[in-house]
Amino acid sequence: MTIRRRALIAGSVALPFLRVPARAAGTPGQLVFGLSSYPPNFNPWVQAGTAAGTVTLQVHRGLMSYAPDGTLRGELAATWARLGDTGWVFTLRDATFHNGGTVTSADVKYSIEQVSAPKSTAYMRAQFQGVDRIETPHPLTVLIVMKEPTETLPLWLAAFEMPVVAAGSAEAGKTPIGCGPFTITKQERGVSIDLAANPNFYKPGLPKLKTLRFVVYADETARVAALQTGDVDLIEYVPWQSMAGIEADPKLRLQNTEGPFMYLTFNGATGPFKDPKVRLAVAHAIKRDEIVKSVFYGRGAALAGPPLVESSPFYDKTLAEGWAYDPAKAKALLADAGLGGGFNCTLLATAQYSMHKDTAEIVQQNLAAIGIQVELALPDWATRISLGNRGQYQFAVNGTTADSNDPDGLSALVDSTLGPAAARSFDFKDDSIAKALAAGRAEFDPAKRGAIYTELQRLILAQTPIVSLAWRAQGYAMAAGVKGFTNMPGALTFFSGTTLEETTLG
Amino acid sequence: MMWAAKRIGTSLVLVWLVITLVFLAIHLVPGDPAELLLSQGGAAPDADSVALLHEQLGLDRPLIEQYLGNLSGLARGDLGQSMQDQAPVAESIADRLPRTLELIAAAAIVALGIGIPLGTAAAARPGGWLDRIGTALAALLLSLPVFVLGTLLVLVFAQTLHWLPAGGYVALAANPVRHLQLLAMPASTIAAGLAAVTYRITRGAVADVRQRDYVRTARAKGVAPARIMRRHVLRNALIPVATVIGLQLGGLLGGTVLVEYVFNYPGLSGLLIDTVSARDYPMVEGIVLVISVLFVGLNLLLDLLYGVLDPRVRQA
Repeated sequence: MTIRRRALIAGSVALPFLRVPARAAGTPGQLVFGLSSYPPNFNPWVQAGTAAGTVTLQVHRGLMSYAPDGTLRGELAATWARLGDTGWVFTLRDATFHNGGTVTSADVKYSIEQVSAPKSTAYMRAQFQGVDRIETPHPLTVLIVMKEPTETLPLWLAAFEMPVVAAGSAEAGKTPIGCGPFTITKQERGVSIDLAANPNFYKPGLPKLKTLRFVVYADETARVAALQTGDVDLIEYVPWQSMAGIEADPKLRLQNTEGPFMYLTFNGATGPFKDPKVRLAVAHAIKRDEIVKSVFYGRGAALAGPPLVESSPFYDKTLAEGWAYDPAKAKALLADAGLGGGFNCTLLATAQYSMHKDTAEIVQQNLAAIGIQVELALPDWATRISLGNRGQYQFAVNGTTADSNDPDGLSALVDSTLGPAAARSFDFKDDSIAKALAAGRAEFDPAKRGAIYTELQRLILAQTPIVSLAWRAQGYAMAAGVKGFTNMPGALTFFSGTTLEETTLG
Repeated sequence: MMWAAKRIGTSLVLVWLVITLVFLAIHLVPGDPAELLLSQGGAAPDADSVALLHEQLGLDRPLIEQYLGNLSGLARGDLGQSMQDQAPVAESIADRLPRTLELIAAAAIVALGIGIPLGTAAAARPGGWLDRIGTALAALLLSLPVFVLGTLLVLVFAQTLHWLPAGGYVALAANPVRHLQLLAMPASTIAAGLAAVTYRITRGAVADVRQRDYVRTARAKGVAPARIMRRHVLRNALIPVATVIGLQLGGLLGGTVLVEYVFNYPGLSGLLIDTVSARDYPMVEGIVLVISVLFVGLNLLLDLLYGVLDPRVRQA
């Protein structure tokens, strides 16, 4: 058979325009999820970012977890109860690992010991240094004894960085064996991860999907376009500027929650921000609505108090506006600090993420109004983290989420005893906040705990270890046929991957 | 022979210089891979964890020891492992490089297929309608940033007409039609600028050669115009075109990052940018090494060919 040159050229030109009937997404029972990044690794106990967390939640599960409405629930634990002042007893449900082995108390002990090990780099390592011993009196019973009374242990065990893996499977060179609703069937590094339903998952009837495919779309515009064209069924990190368009599209749905937030940290070792009055002046000088409007396209809310979500039982409305915009008060505080004439300083942010840079620009404008002349330092993200960890800055823009909706979830941001980290103020000397956090952690009586956390919020407002700026809407968008997926409330938004076990695609 | 050996020696020194400069640059700029790995999602790692990870990644060793270790690995053909997930660097490059080469090759075929014929035709009638339209179009394509053109293509062909997927990658073996569909827009985006350059260089070179004495002589001898164009004009005019296009394609080896981002195409450029952001030293060093070896190798090949074709080069 001979192929004429013209026919070959015509065929080549037409090829890309051939419609392929089977699209990448939209097949019932087979969901395609557009991830914002490829997980840098699959180490089960390391915080490797939110995309990694979403994937980890499919493969691994821990003793505790959160229900779609954000309430704490047992996951591998069928029951849990306190034993004495420092002990917690968990009874395990009948569950098996992906290799068919039964989940036992020995696996729980092994997993927690990997986290608390001297050479561990686990995200929850510091918390689990508080474990005194772990006992396994029965294959389905585990007793965790803490060195101090620890009310928050079940919360810590619900973190997605605390999965239970088969004993011995996390040794060097091995792949940790989990017991989650899906198993990984194929990975193409940097591109996609394919999973299939675990037929032996311990929750009857779940997962509802047959397959789950994660495809990475690092560019937010490409991610939204992939949803709009039907290449994927569900996306995370919906850019704020695209939310209105998605809401207007009858074929799509948007779920938002306000959990992540922007805030300022300070250098407590040197410079003007050593003085709490100056930090407080900054807190009262920011027009937070401008940040919400300009940086997040109105998708968020002003945050003028400790970053505790309204749904938390410890939220105190009277304290939530403690740093309300009040330029007169800000100027008076500066004068009180001996800086009535204003001063020059540098604000560290990063040009790599527009929400950090744009927030910094608004802070710069707002502070100029009270006499503080701010110069912006906008290095790349890696440099910004490095400078932050080493305290090589005066004050800095940050964005994060609390570890949970409980006030204890703020520890990593305001506990001065935890050592230097870019996410919290550098060399912040006052330890009254750390003491209040420790007291709240050790208190089991809800009323007394409430009083401690009210005091904690007062201390945060007065000492100003951070200055909250704005809640930002965290969005998931999906095709209208996706049911059962829930963007979990507040700080738990990044646990939403848990609900993929209940998700269907009609 | 001596001349060829000297050129090969110079190329090896160049590659060593690139390795050394990249090693120094990536280690001396601020940013710490261990801190970054443990600070994902806004997390606040404790100093002990960072120190432990330093030790595990070998970052606690003196810089000179790390450098010599790298060189010794390279001498054994070992590019090392990624600091993020311990995957072999060579494996990641082997995954990504063919995709980028395919993207560049597809773009080059389209660009040369359009640029050379149009440039030749425009030079045949300087100032004619084709020349005027072609020159204006080339200026437009050259001034249009690739991410703007790419986004426009997505808007038109994916989101409005639904002819093509918005982006992504599927292996040729897994689904050939979808593979080509996914290649169409990114390749066209790169091809647009490349076609404009090819057009302008071809047009200028052909117009210049057409004025040469040997062309006039051929014309006076009554040689058919098509034959003159093919045998006398194009053969000589395409030498500068090949040089310029060769350099442009070499530059694309690490320079397709914007297109890769817009079309979610998992190529080598995107990997390089991601690994620089993560300060994944072995990955950055491995990718830059491969790109520089390819670039230096290409230049060496051209130099050797020039030497074969033109004895004056050898003597010089």
